[in-house]
Amino acid sequence: MRTSINKWAIYSLGDHAIVFALSAQIDPAILHTITALRQFIESKKIKGVLDLIPSYHTLTLVFDISPFLQNIDNSTEYMKNFGEELIISFEKEKNQIHDPVNEIIKVPVCYDPIFALDINTLSDEKQISIATIIELHCAPIYQVYSIGFLPGFTYMGTVNAQIQTPRHAKPRNAVPAGSVGIAGPQTGIYPSESPGGWKIIGKTPWVIFDPAPSKLSRFKVGDQIQFYPITTLEFDKLNEYK
Amino acid sequence: MAIKIIKKGIADSLQDQGRYGYQHQGIQPNGCMDYLSAWLGNAIVQNDLHHPIIELHFPAAQIQFTTNHTICITGANFVPVLNEKSIPMNTPIQVNAMDRLTMLQPLEGKTCYVAIKGDFEKPQWLDSQSFNGKRFEKEEQILILDQSDQINPNFKFNPLVIEKVHHFLFNNHDPIRIIPGPAWQDLTEDSIHHLLNAPYSITPQANRMGFQLAGPALSLTSPNNYLSSAVTRGTIQLLPNGELIVLMADHQTIGGYANLGQIILVDLPRFAQIKTEHLIKFSLTKLATAHNLYQEMYAQFKH
Repeated sequence: MRTSINKWAIYSLGDHAIVFALSAQIDPAILHTITALRQFIESKKIKGVLDLIPSYHTLTLVFDISPFLQNIDNSTEYMKNFGEELIISFEKEKNQIHDPVNEIIKVPVCYDPIFALDINTLSDEKQISIATIIELHCAPIYQVYSIGFLPGFTYMGTVNAQIQTPRHAKPRNAVPAGSVGIAGPQTGIYPSESPGGWKIIGKTPWVIFDPAPSKLSRFKVGDQIQFYPITTLEFDKLNEYK
Repeated sequence: MAIKIIKKGIADSLQDQGRYGYQHQGIQPNGCMDYLSAWLGNAIVQNDLHHPIIELHFPAAQIQFTTNHTICITGANFVPVLNEKSIPMNTPIQVNAMDRLTMLQPLEGKTCYVAIKGDFEKPQWLDSQSFNGKRFEKEEQILILDQSDQINPNFKFNPLVIEKVHHFLFNNHDPIRIIPGPAWQDLTEDSIHHLLNAPYSITPQANRMGFQLAGPALSLTSPNNYLSSAVTRGTIQLLPNGELIVLMADHQTIGGYANLGQIILVDLPRFAQIKTEHLIKFSLTKLATAHNLYQEMYAQFKH
């Protein structure tokens, strides 16, 4: 099943998911529309919908076949109409959707080389002082474009071109929780200790993923985040991993 | 009332239908690899279809029961023995205190289920007892509540359905059916030809996260950078080196590799049971066919 309406492409992903896609770009305005669509569909409480997963320019609706397609004869036709009607009503109502004020979340990061495992190498490679790397990494307001890889792992962009760097060819076996990494145009925080290939340039004292059901992921797709540098002393004071 | 892990297996765990509603936070769904065998086991011991069930891979854990239970073994045939005696599969079995369940040999399939009548006293997180990467440890005790809930001796699960499900899972060499995904159109003509004609097999690099395939390498018409988007169980990803990975129950929630297509839900249990030495072929199917096949399968389990 594939159809399009206005600037949206709507297509089935296998037999139990539907994707709503805008043009494939890293663009805050596109992301904003995707998160608004997520909110819109969520408010409809549609029977059989299991998950609504936003990421960059797509929203993927995962469904449980049996309740979602109950008493439907022509499922392909049904899904096409379902997708088109959803987008039409979204486009009509989207101006009335309550848009939560997205405050910029200021996240502390300690860039001391005891945490910033790759910052010295990056400084040498790029011929940029550590102070400038910190300044360049802290200047932008990043968007959370996607969450995945691990529970709560945020993919944020866009990193200043001067400090963009590829992943390690061979991932580290264990990157500590809270580590702040960069990979190409993206920056992210490891929510838990895991293997990982991103270049580590700092560490936040904040817990990014808490399994307590009322907490879970500290950030959500669509959040705006800005980092600010802290000393090791301040890190100890703010450390939530104690 | 409990079962106890006497000997640890390679990757055994308690699984249910999985955890949905949290994938936007990066939380994996988990759940049974072969949900059909899990439904079957639960139906035979008169549990709810989506009831948590013990999932075993070979070499499997050895389990001791501390009280009487009704159990049923479904899925892969690992030659189950209770104490020293061989026991049948797909049928309710009464076990007594101190009985030991051992799996001798991986005769058929890859994933075996032990359904037990009663509720498991296990931590639950976000509405599921499946935990990502959690394995049974030696000496682990899994408490079982609810002994009063005995099975109705007059009820017998339809033997024709048992036979049909078994045949569908194990005696069936039909291609694994797929629906093309967003990156299908980016495959070269040769690659599409290979994928739909050449035999593939599952390498030993196969776990609950995903199965790596062996077979002709595939390529895209031009190198393509995809923005990461959501993936589902059954998603076939093309790695930059031309290899294929099929995502399974513990898959991560988003992926940035070329998304070639999805194995249809009804064929996933069959795919999950295919052993390394067997060859697989893939064929394309239609969305409506996939839905009808799933609905027909599901209908057989609803009373």
